[in-house]
Amino acid sequence: MSARVIAGQECRDLWLSGRGPVLTFVYSVLLSAVTYLAATNRILNFLEQRESVNLVLQIAVAVGVLLTLVVAADAISGERERGTLESLLLTPVSRGSIVLGKLVAAMSLWGAAFVVALPYLWVLGKGVAVVGKAVLLALVVGTVLALSMAAVGLLISARSSTNKVSLAASLFLLLALFAPTQLPAMSKSSVGDLLVRINPVTAGIHYIGLVLVKGHTWAQDLSYLISPVVAVVVAAVALALAGPRIVRLTGGVGSG
Amino acid sequence: MPGVTLEARELSKWFGSRTAVDSVSFTAYEGEVIGLLGPNGAGKTTTIRMLSTVLPPTGGDFTVAGVPSSQPAGIRARIGVLPESAGYPMFQTGLEYLTYHGRLFGLSRDEARQTAVRLLGQVGLADRAQSRIATYSRGMRQRLGIARALVNNPSVVFLDEPTLGLDPAGQREILTLVRMIAEARGTTVVLSTHTLPEVEQVCSSVLILNEGKVVVSGSVAEVTSTEAASRQSGRLRVPPEEVPRAAEVLRRLPGVSVEVSKDVLTVTSADGMNSMLSAVLDAGIVLLSFEVDGARLSDAFLAMTRGGTS
Repeated sequence: MSARVIAGQECRDLWLSGRGPVLTFVYSVLLSAVTYLAATNRILNFLEQRESVNLVLQIAVAVGVLLTLVVAADAISGERERGTLESLLLTPVSRGSIVLGKLVAAMSLWGAAFVVALPYLWVLGKGVAVVGKAVLLALVVGTVLALSMAAVGLLISARSSTNKVSLAASLFLLLALFAPTQLPAMSKSSVGDLLVRINPVTAGIHYIGLVLVKGHTWAQDLSYLISPVVAVVVAAVALALAGPRIVRLTGGVGSG
Repeated sequence: MPGVTLEARELSKWFGSRTAVDSVSFTAYEGEVIGLLGPNGAGKTTTIRMLSTVLPPTGGDFTVAGVPSSQPAGIRARIGVLPESAGYPMFQTGLEYLTYHGRLFGLSRDEARQTAVRLLGQVGLADRAQSRIATYSRGMRQRLGIARALVNNPSVVFLDEPTLGLDPAGQREILTLVRMIAEARGTTVVLSTHTLPEVEQVCSSVLILNEGKVVVSGSVAEVTSTEAASRQSGRLRVPPEEVPRAAEVLRRLPGVSVEVSKDVLTVTSADGMNSMLSAVLDAGIVLLSFEVDGARLSDAFLAMTRGGTS
């Protein structure tokens, strides 16, 4: 009940304060540009239509997860800096409910990112029967990645001494996880494939490519989803166990 | 005899090797306003944060309305707090803010809204209920913070520097609210402040902390009388045209020394102030003001905190 009240208020704060709509607008502008380029640019037109959908889907997932992480990374350390966390901690609401409410609010941004991505996937994918597959992949893989990153973002936010530290650490982590997705030959060697599989982001993105571009069945490369699923389970358990202890008035290691 | 609402026993807090609060013990009763005084860094805010369960104590324990410190959620349900540097969600309206907090204390949507409307009226913000908090003045935000502290009808309210940064009118409004909370609701108020005149106005007892320890506690009169400096000097203010005559009358008294500065006479006498006052009044001189050195809470405060940095 308390978590629902907090989630409702956090969502209102996110979407009525202008932060949520602005981030979503910037996200839609980016997707528009990428979709336009994928559809019209001569060089990019060498892409097969499935690859165009795959490109836009990967960007949609990557940026959607980034936005979710940014909101999560601000959720506790930001409130601490704005002086509003103390009044929340002074209510009888459990720390777990506070964490859950904030997690739901952060995930609402991924929900919006997913909805915004739908028309772009439809425009690029119509005629080759990949739209449904792309939407489902975005929903499953994107949600798993967004949830794990949101949980990690909240943990970082609760632990960080300042909001700047929280945002910087979260963005660095995401960059470190996403960078290997830009190495195309990585999965061709056995070591490279192992690295792809270990990193939940590269594994998820690679799985999307296999299903969408190479036409593999959903079950054929399911093993690539092990690390994203493990990541979300570990992050959620860590948040559930550590959250109540680290959501407090002062951040930083050894505080309080 | 009013019931005990707050009891702290040997409450201590260490941050690493630094002692912030050292074995603080006190008892508060229903309807009492306790002034928590001390120089900067004396441990006032840390004490309030421990009593409001935001910080876990390193040692000692306490009860609030009979609920032991081992049940922090139960305590939070019975207290209201206005933190020292409370922040507010600027895009929310006062009504939304209070309704939200009411819901966090388990009220239904309708109950929370009704409570919010009632409290906004009590703190004089009824006409600004639908305005965004960003448009509120500092004094209005402090009153909103006090309303938030009352949203759960608490047994004990902690107010940490509620008049900080307010103009005299704003300070008076807050003090009126503090009195109202204690008298009309029977709530115990713990008021942490640096402004000693306001403690003298509203507090029934005081607790002076210095370097984390309680240096004195008791009623304002007790603390002032037992700890203040000796009362052998004071200042009289008379109309400017009466200053020479008043000085002459006072100098005629045995053992009295007088210094004159504009319309203020600073007098010292080993026999106290009574004979001097009588002499001035008997001479038909209008007395505009009279202040005895050492009779104020600030004198006691400075004496006990060794000129603390408040």
